[in-house]
Amino acid sequence: MTTRFVRHPDLRHTAVDGEGIVLHLGSRRYFSVNETGVVLLEALVTPRSVDELVTTLTDAYRVSPDDARRSVVTFLERCAAAKLVVAEES
Amino acid sequence: MSPGFHVTCGDPAVRAWIGEWLEATRLEPPGAIALTVRVASEVPPTRDERTPFRQPQLEIRSGPPAGGVRITWRGDQAQACIDERAARADLVITRSALTGRDALAQGFLVAVTVFLLRRVGWHHVHAASAVDPRGRGWLLAGDAQCGKSTTAALLAAHGWGVGADDLTFLDAATAPIEVVALRAPIALRNGGLALLARAGGHPLRDGRKRGFFAEELGGRWADRVRPAIIALPRVDGGKTRVEPVERRDALAELVRWSAWVALEPALAQSHLDALARLTAQATCVRLALGPDLAEPRDVLLALVP
Repeated sequence: MTTRFVRHPDLRHTAVDGEGIVLHLGSRRYFSVNETGVVLLEALVTPRSVDELVTTLTDAYRVSPDDARRSVVTFLERCAAAKLVVAEES
Repeated sequence: MSPGFHVTCGDPAVRAWIGEWLEATRLEPPGAIALTVRVASEVPPTRDERTPFRQPQLEIRSGPPAGGVRITWRGDQAQACIDERAARADLVITRSALTGRDALAQGFLVAVTVFLLRRVGWHHVHAASAVDPRGRGWLLAGDAQCGKSTTAALLAAHGWGVGADDLTFLDAATAPIEVVALRAPIALRNGGLALLARAGGHPLRDGRKRGFFAEELGGRWADRVRPAIIALPRVDGGKTRVEPVERRDALAELVRWSAWVALEPALAQSHLDALARLTAQATCVRLALGPDLAEPRDVLLALVP
């Protein structure tokens, strides 16, 4: 069983200077995200596992896999709390 | 009738009034907008279980499953059903609503117009727009108490061009983004009137404000502005100050002051992207507004040379 995450269908986002704003159409709340968050959100257009997201970050930045994993997990936890991502089991 | 708008109504006097109101806004949308208006004794009951987004005197229902937008004003005084994609609306206006036409126009027709303009690529932002004597465009975004209108009036008195003090639209088809103003008097409360130190003005609908057009204050009307500066104002008791703000934070503020951005899933992304493009093209500042703004010297021009 693998858990994959994908952007909530009510999520819209845009970016300026590499940083972004995420808008949840259902709750009408908005959030700021940093450059790493923008990269992860763009990857989450299609369902991704934590391992795949870690690879996304290590490919994009000079960052160790452990640091990337910590960033991914923290990001997903925050997004899940705000209903910005949905978990899918496969 | 303003070009771009087509109004159909069985009551010629109501059609003429709406046409005159649209003409007074000076809006010239890039695509055809159609309003079909019916005058009735009451708005027919409609079953719509979508959760309303409430604004003063307005309830707005949008998105799935019904699609389109339904706006009701003052309970059941007027209703608009706006097509999901086309710039087309069916309005029912009660005879009792027509007894207070200024309120009906400012409260209801403006809201309907905002949603119709979205469909032709103009996205609403709650902001004032201006052009300084050096030709730079300004957008001042913030809530109803942040000083936009007083600032707009004082800037007009300094000879600036002023577009709107409250209601502007981003033209998504322009690059850089241009801001289109809905023409209306700059509406001042007593505090703003005292700073402006000018008698006269037009009585406005709620009786607590008076309005001035920019030309009446020594400025000019700027129908379109290409913002080079985005200012996030707040009223402050000290001297007027300017502080830089990160573009990401300015974008968040613009999203905040574009409350209707989230209402229609199909249009939210283009609205957000227009706000981001606008932010990217401008210098962004926070503006603490002090009473020195009313001094004869142009304080803002000195602070943002």
